[in-house]
Amino acid sequence: MAYAIETHELSYRAGKNFELREVNLKVREGAIYGFLGPNGSGKSTTIKLLMGMLRAQGGQVAVLGHAVPKEMPAVLKDVGYVPERPHLHPFMTVAQAIRYHAAFFGGFDAAYAEELLETFNLPADRLLSQLSKGELGKVHMLLVLGQRPRLLILDEPTDGLDPVVRRDVLTALLDFCSQGSATVFISSHLVHELERICDWVGVLDRGRMIAELPMHGFKQGIKRLRVGRPPSLIGDTPFILLMREQTPYDEIWVVRGWQAPMTQWFDGAGADLKEIVDLDLEEGFIELLRASRVPA
Amino acid sequence: MLKQLIRVQWSRVRTPVILVALILFALPLLMIRANGGPDSSAVDTVGWWLHSAQVIGHAIPILALVAGLYLGIAAWTDDAKGGHVYALTLPLPRERYVVYRFLAGAVPITVPALCLLAGCLIATASVRLPSGVHAYPIALASRAFLATVVCYSIFFAIAIATRRAVLIVMGLLVTLIAAELIAGMLHLDFDALASAATLLTTWPGPLAILAGHWALFDV
Repeated sequence: MAYAIETHELSYRAGKNFELREVNLKVREGAIYGFLGPNGSGKSTTIKLLMGMLRAQGGQVAVLGHAVPKEMPAVLKDVGYVPERPHLHPFMTVAQAIRYHAAFFGGFDAAYAEELLETFNLPADRLLSQLSKGELGKVHMLLVLGQRPRLLILDEPTDGLDPVVRRDVLTALLDFCSQGSATVFISSHLVHELERICDWVGVLDRGRMIAELPMHGFKQGIKRLRVGRPPSLIGDTPFILLMREQTPYDEIWVVRGWQAPMTQWFDGAGADLKEIVDLDLEEGFIELLRASRVPA
Repeated sequence: MLKQLIRVQWSRVRTPVILVALILFALPLLMIRANGGPDSSAVDTVGWWLHSAQVIGHAIPILALVAGLYLGIAAWTDDAKGGHVYALTLPLPRERYVVYRFLAGAVPITVPALCLLAGCLIATASVRLPSGVHAYPIALASRAFLATVVCYSIFFAIAIATRRAVLIVMGLLVTLIAAELIAGMLHLDFDALASAATLLTTWPGPLAILAGHWALFDV
């Protein structure tokens, strides 16, 4: 299996309060990988490590088969990056920004950029400093898509954008992906946004990867169960028990990897499965976070 | 790549650079008009004229220093505003990017240097020099260009220095001032700041090029 991004035991510490601990990421080529996590979980730090902007204190990073940060120019040639905060020179017009960007990326597709300029309805002669936040977001997306990169790394690209702009940006992204086999690594804390476009999800919380699974597995496999007469000791289960919480009459379990035939396990364990609740992506995400934060 | 960097850098700095260039163009013309201009018939008058022209010439190293300071800092200003993120995502080795940035920032220096040369040539051509007095238009313009490049290089390096490097330089300065104060209290004959300034402005100090005569006309 070829991976566009692969990290092994990636560790990084910034000050006393934040640490990325042994992050293992595997992003398959051609995947649209949603990198979920609450604010401050370490998503942007992880992305900066992938982009070679920070140096890891432990572990290895490989992007498009190249070691990071050792082989960065080779990596960056094929990577389109949209950072969390706008980083373009505000004194340039949109057209100047396109020309400037194109000068650094040999394979820049000027015709496609022109097409996107029209699609996004961007004024070519306006200064970037005079653009709205939404328009600036579109310029960022236009520039990286114009590169026709093999890998797009997008750090909260739609954060703070209105729904219409957000839809335009994501539609352009999906159109681009449908034209080829680009891999997309997109971080967000907007769970519903990722639900629409991603086929893989990784969840980071407090600097630790707490889950990495296909989107369908994430959407369908996380359930909240109400269990009567729960066993005090739980041995091997066919599902992954993320969390158990006592209520006055029974217990609430949050499980992952759930499938219908697994109800039989409760009969064998002498427990009473009273209710199975389907969680939507956002609820599943929240339950995952809660489960990861329960002390062992 | 480099062409785009030069174009963008020029668009950012052109107004102050053109202003400096105009002043430098005007300075040689002022020199020939100093004290009514040279008069070959009176030795004293020629002496005064040469002296006045040299005084005006001292504006050249000051302008070189100012231009170098401005261009050195301006070379990094826009990258620094964006936390250097854009530069770090460009697909070229960092050292090459620094070289390109340096060149893009240095190219505007040619404009004031050429203007000074033009001013010097016009001034030289439009004056009848007394016997024994010579004009050095190319030498003066070249020296001004080199002085600006030296100042630019120093401030370019300072502007991109890490916080630690800046702290080291600041620490050194504070140590010098403290040493001078202590020497003063102990009535010792030790002027640390003056010694440092001498060290910097006399050969082989990096700012030696700024010191000395800046005369378009000399004997």
